[in-house]
Amino acid sequence: MDAQHVDMFLFSNSKYLEESQMYHIRERLLTLDESHWRMLQYMPFHDPVIILIISLITGPLAVDRFMLGDIGLGVAKLITCGGLGIWVLVDWIMIMNITRRKNTEKLMMAIY
Amino acid sequence: MPLTRNRFYLYLSLACAVGYGWLGLVSRLKPGEVGEKYEVCLVRHFLHFPCPSCGSTRSVLALLQGDLAGGFYWNPLGIVIFSILLATPIWMAYDLVFKKDTLYHFFRLFEETLRRKWVAIPAILLILLNWAWNIVKDV
Repeated sequence: MDAQHVDMFLFSNSKYLEESQMYHIRERLLTLDESHWRMLQYMPFHDPVIILIISLITGPLAVDRFMLGDIGLGVAKLITCGGLGIWVLVDWIMIMNITRRKNTEKLMMAIY
Repeated sequence: MPLTRNRFYLYLSLACAVGYGWLGLVSRLKPGEVGEKYEVCLVRHFLHFPCPSCGSTRSVLALLQGDLAGGFYWNPLGIVIFSILLATPIWMAYDLVFKKDTLYHFFRLFEETLRRKWVAIPAILLILLNWAWNIVKDV
């Protein structure tokens, strides 16, 4: 892919992705052909800030986990009052990084 | 980090340990006293009404005392938790001894099944109904 397209994609999506993986993602994207550009433009990423707000409001109901696709963990969180309240607090701290990791995994799946 | 087999078994062991530890802590109490003495639910604490799973501990305690009707009354989800707490250590031990991953595959299958709309929608409705019942009972 064209370096300008790759840099534009990374610049506009950097807040959704793990910073530590940016170099690998860029290197990989540069090896892809231009046909991937459209697919990348419409890639649906979760916004870490939105997920954090959802986690803050509906944490004990595990809506944040369900939205990220962690169905099993979501059910576990839901039926245990948010892991006796502890899991909810941990997720408030961790959920933004978890969201970025999930987004990065999704992108990796698409480009590898 | 994706939820690999070993990570899954580690988390599950920790969850079971916390579950049994929690039950050990509250086991000296009568089911009705748990909510008064230990309030761990953030929904109840801040909004003053129960969440869908409030009453689960009381339900499990009632089931441990052989009171099935009490277990259902406090929260039907307690029956699910009781079954999970009972079956998981045995299932995990079987997988570890025979070097299998049947529980992990079951978990993955459970997730895949729950992603289907015709399973997810009734499940969500049941949870909402249970929540409404919890609010009416004010557990």
